[in-house]
Amino acid sequence: MVRRGALSLLVFITFSLVVIFRTRLIASVNPCVQVTPGITYVCMELNLKGIPSEIPNSTQNLDLSFNPLEVLYSNYFSLVPALRFLDITRCHITKIEDDAFAGLHSLSVLLLTGNPLQFLAPRAFQDLTSLQRLVLVETNLFLLDSLPIGHLMSLQELNLSNNYIDSLKLPKYFSQLIHLKRLILQSNKISSISSGDLDALPTHNLTLVLCRNNIKYIQPRSFKRVYLQELSLRSSFEDNAVMQVGLLNLTGLHVNSLVLGGHRNLRKAESFNKNLLDGLCHMELQKITLICTGDAFGRTDSLSACLNNISTVRFMHTYLKTVYFPKNNNIRHLECKDIRFYHVPFENLASLTELRVLRITDTNTLVEFNLRSEVNWTLKNLETLDLSDNNLYIDLRWLCLKERFSNLMVLNLSFNSLITLSTEVFGPTKLKYLDLQHSRLIGPGRLPTFLCLKTLIYLDISYTSIVITMECSFCGLDSLEVLKMAGNSFKDNQLANAFTNVTKLKILDISYCQLQHVSLSSFDLLHDLRELNISNNKLLDFYPESYMHLQALTILDFHSNQLITLTKKHLENLPSGLKKLDLSQNLFDCSCDRLYFLRWGQEHKDLFINAEMMKCHSPSHLKGTQLMHFDESTCQVSVTTVAVSVSISVIVALSLILVYKFYFHLYYMILLLSGGHSTTDHSKIYDAFVIYSGEDQVWVKQELEDTLESGVPRFRLCLHYRDFRPGVPIITNIIKEGFQSSRKVIAVVSTHFLESRWCNFELEVAQSWQLLDSKASLIFVILEGVDRAALRQKLGLFRYLRRNAYLVWKDREVKRHVFLRQLKSALLEGKTWTEDELKAMLTN
Amino acid sequence: MKTFKAAPLIFLLIYTSIGWPTHSVCKNSHLEIYYISCDPLQDFAFTLDSCSGLTTGSVNIRAATVLRHSIRELFVTVNLFFNGKSIPIFSRQLCEQNHPNLSFCGKKKGEHVYYEGPVSFRSYDIPHGDFNVTVELFNGDQHTIVCTNFTILSR
Repeated sequence: MVRRGALSLLVFITFSLVVIFRTRLIASVNPCVQVTPGITYVCMELNLKGIPSEIPNSTQNLDLSFNPLEVLYSNYFSLVPALRFLDITRCHITKIEDDAFAGLHSLSVLLLTGNPLQFLAPRAFQDLTSLQRLVLVETNLFLLDSLPIGHLMSLQELNLSNNYIDSLKLPKYFSQLIHLKRLILQSNKISSISSGDLDALPTHNLTLVLCRNNIKYIQPRSFKRVYLQELSLRSSFEDNAVMQVGLLNLTGLHVNSLVLGGHRNLRKAESFNKNLLDGLCHMELQKITLICTGDAFGRTDSLSACLNNISTVRFMHTYLKTVYFPKNNNIRHLECKDIRFYHVPFENLASLTELRVLRITDTNTLVEFNLRSEVNWTLKNLETLDLSDNNLYIDLRWLCLKERFSNLMVLNLSFNSLITLSTEVFGPTKLKYLDLQHSRLIGPGRLPTFLCLKTLIYLDISYTSIVITMECSFCGLDSLEVLKMAGNSFKDNQLANAFTNVTKLKILDISYCQLQHVSLSSFDLLHDLRELNISNNKLLDFYPESYMHLQALTILDFHSNQLITLTKKHLENLPSGLKKLDLSQNLFDCSCDRLYFLRWGQEHKDLFINAEMMKCHSPSHLKGTQLMHFDESTCQVSVTTVAVSVSISVIVALSLILVYKFYFHLYYMILLLSGGHSTTDHSKIYDAFVIYSGEDQVWVKQELEDTLESGVPRFRLCLHYRDFRPGVPIITNIIKEGFQSSRKVIAVVSTHFLESRWCNFELEVAQSWQLLDSKASLIFVILEGVDRAALRQKLGLFRYLRRNAYLVWKDREVKRHVFLRQLKSALLEGKTWTEDELKAMLTN
Repeated sequence: MKTFKAAPLIFLLIYTSIGWPTHSVCKNSHLEIYYISCDPLQDFAFTLDSCSGLTTGSVNIRAATVLRHSIRELFVTVNLFFNGKSIPIFSRQLCEQNHPNLSFCGKKKGEHVYYEGPVSFRSYDIPHGDFNVTVELFNGDQHTIVCTNFTILSR
């Protein structure tokens, strides 16, 4: 027992926590949805007890519906004085106190639907001087008298549907509502209408809706000399008998339009009485609409003859199977919507000699339309024939059309099953408007089927499954100004010269036509074209030559194609009068080489429609970026980048020069620091022994002695005139001082060298020395002017030179520099230094 | 032990405070139909006169709701859920702007709608098995007016 108690306590605590948590969650966030900042806020169903403080006082449109406001106190809306639209639907409001809407001088729409009002103070709607629409649907109202709205002078619509009002007696204050246009008393409890009820009617312009009341009795003459714009009486009478009497008692009513009938779901199985509508004879009536009458009217001749006096007759959602009218001159406008015709009963309609407009629409069963019957009939005054939204199969002959309807101006056969058109020379002479959209067409595109429609101004053949294969498809349409042919196709998906015959065209729609190519002369002759819709095709480009001649063009819709960019030529040739350009949903390339177009686009922002849908498709990192938000600076190289890169390259070049220039100093420095300068071989006191002919003494002194022994690095050469010891045989000197004491041997080959025997001897010794030492220590220097032939004669040397690199000296500044450098690096190989030498070198 | 018992209770509590309860529409030896509202804003009241009407092609229904949006135009779509896929089986306009057919058309946001009357449909033999059907009504602005998931168990 204790356990169970503890468990239920636990459940209770959890439940409370959940409830608290949820309410906290709702309360903690800013409650309303901001639709237009500062103007429009939606606070629907947020459990608000008043106007949230977050709502700014500039708010014009406020939706507070489904919140438990309960009582509207005085000055309830003082926080939002600029309100124009206020929706307080289903806010559990039971009480509206005096001046609840005080200060709302701009309020034009007030929706109070679904509030169980119990108390409406006499000054409840004070200050609402601009109120045009007041909706008090389902607000528990019983009496019109108690409604404090007499001062709402601007009121145009008063909707009191779904209340408990049982009398149509308009209180006196109604006579002040001089702008009232609609009074809706649908679904109330009005059971009788008495004379004098409508005495306070303010205007002749009122639409009175009394649908879904349960009227049992209308006192005779209660509508005498009453003027109404429209009277709606759907499902208003208890039964047909009451209706028959009721209509008779409407005698004297002047009404422009009367709506009679029921609703499909409220239909009662009732017997039909031919005189049901006899009351119509005693009214002034322009237009009658019979709607959802069930099976009451299967044929029009079973209707009261009074119907024949009315100029506009409409049957809607009825079981009307056919029509029969006696010959009459009154009906000018006949409309049948969602009825039960199988064929268009022209023979029966021919009795309506003054018929101007005939509409038979939304009838699934209607399949037959035949103008070629034997019976001789005409509707010579018919101007508009609308047979849209049926299931018609039509074989249309223009000549028959001309003979039957000589005055026809508007023909609408859209949304039918199949229409076959033929090529004829003679046809209707006044037809201006032809709508065939969404019906499958046979003929157009392959044949010049419009040849005889010289007067046609408007042609709609959108989505009719035609393929334009013939240049003369639109021949004969000399006056055509509007051509809509979206959703069809052209031969080879290419637009060629189909429009050369419609030179008056002002509006052309060729969207959704799978076009892949537009030939350059397609629009050459359309000088008057103002609007061109070529959207939703597969065009990669739109060449300037194609649209150059469209000088009158103001609107160009090119959206949803595969355009990559527009070049300077494209942009310069755009029609000067262009006001709207839609290029959205194309495959724009936003690389920097398209900058001209991107920049142009941003400069002409106002020209574009749906600019936000103009997005980059490539390069991939910009995919999805809006063209208008394209950042041009990404294409400009920044100044700092340039400065930094220039200075870096200057520094690099400088340091390279310095390295080159002070190569040897650096070399010594590294050597000095690495400590790799310990000498092991002290026997070599010379860096090189120079073999040369005495004739070249001057050159050796200038080019070798002076440069190598005093420059950096400093080398010591063994020169025979200077370093050979006197008194020692020359050969001993050559061997001991020359070869043994030197690391390298430099042979200065000149013409004299080749001739000198001593030199040859020394060279041979050097070569054998090299062989013994197996070191590449012999450096050849070939002087300028050495004869190649002479060299070749000296075969051994020539062979040697062919296999080994040698230096060539030429008396030119650059060559000398290179020579010296090469010689120095050759001498450096294998050289060792003492620390003192290195230091001396660096300080030099 | 107590916490083990409390945990499912808490889940149940949170769950029921978010979703709508399941209602039974009809139940006999051959057929069971349940529905649950799939409109996050509100539950939906719906009853059938009898299960047997479903096989004759016309059945009287009663349905009630409070409109969150006006229905100057109203459309209905019916989808069958089969193997995790939604297959549209029916779609039509119930209310048109001018001179609509049905009495509740044109009702305003906040109004109470109560429909009692026949609904006729092409008579299908309901196949054996369990399946889900979603019925959705939406207005001209594509706002959901009513959304219900029916579970049909047919034996």
